[in-house]
Amino acid sequence: MKMLQGEGILVTYALGSCIGLCFHDPKLRLGALLHIMLPLNMEAGRAHPLKYADSGIKETLRQLEAKGASRGRLTVKIAGGAKMFEVSGGGGLGNIGQRNIESVHAILKRENIRLLAEDVGGKVARTLLFDVASGQGCIRSYGQKDIIF
Amino acid sequence: MIKNYDQLTSLEIDTLREIGSIGTGNAATALSQMLGKEVRITMPEVRIMGYNEAIEWIGGPEAVTAGVLVKMSGDIGGIMLSVQKLELVNFILETMLGQGIQSYEELEELQQSALIEIGNIMISAFVTALSGLAGIDINLTVPAFAVDMQGAILTVPMAEYGGMSDYLMTIGGNFVCNGQEIPSHLLLSPDLRSLDFLLRKLGVSDG
Repeated sequence: MKMLQGEGILVTYALGSCIGLCFHDPKLRLGALLHIMLPLNMEAGRAHPLKYADSGIKETLRQLEAKGASRGRLTVKIAGGAKMFEVSGGGGLGNIGQRNIESVHAILKRENIRLLAEDVGGKVARTLLFDVASGQGCIRSYGQKDIIF
Repeated sequence: MIKNYDQLTSLEIDTLREIGSIGTGNAATALSQMLGKEVRITMPEVRIMGYNEAIEWIGGPEAVTAGVLVKMSGDIGGIMLSVQKLELVNFILETMLGQGIQSYEELEELQQSALIEIGNIMISAFVTALSGLAGIDINLTVPAFAVDMQGAILTVPMAEYGGMSDYLMTIGGNFVCNGQEIPSHLLLSPDLRSLDFLLRKLGVSDG
């Protein structure tokens, strides 16, 4: 997770089934970019809370609030959750993206954070750039036009 | 106790290296038969590393690459991935179809099938060597193919088993054909229970 206040751009590269979340408090011009890989934290030692949607979002909110962010103002934009390979007969392989999307939705709802925009699913990887001053996001994908959101 | 990659002893790592070496040798032989050309391999490099390190090793997160992925089941579960950089792609296409490509965007269906087939043959040869050595049965799915940013492609085995491990086992070796070296990367990602089982089958685990 990267956090920045004032001006600047946060980037996370090549999101496949992972999801990038851009948290923004417009009044403080405070932004955080979280990159989660898995839907739920079932790690025994909990050594990497930021890797999971549930513990990652909670920890990011905690750090944002410590900097003065308020839940009423905080918004989030998300991108990722793609299915990179279509494996026939592979059982649940490749569903992780979809499970990440569902988990992120549920947790944002529970934490009362407004989801402003999203570009999720599909089968292409995304690089996500986030301008903390304006709250604008940009998605770069291979062989496709950039998406501003 | 089930071990994580970072808890392996040097004997266990050497054993995995040996598997990598024999497996890659088999893959090169298979490639050579398929292409009708002599293909040798340089000493393969087996490394166990974290995601960021693996990405840098293969060439950066946003670089585009082709990947052929097969899922393993049976005695051990996991994923095998053949990462095909443009040099390898062109070597395969020029030999099989007489013409290479400038970029992945030019890939057509026939060329894609050739790459999938070669990836599948290399993976199968590797897995055959592995199951022979350990005396186990491994089933493989039909191969899946993607062309995209390699950061996202390499995340697939991590996301699949990421709840248990932050490490990837990567096997890199250069194929040598007509004096030209062509880099090839195979990733073997058994889930942790299978890694443990495999090491016990090979008689090196103390667990």
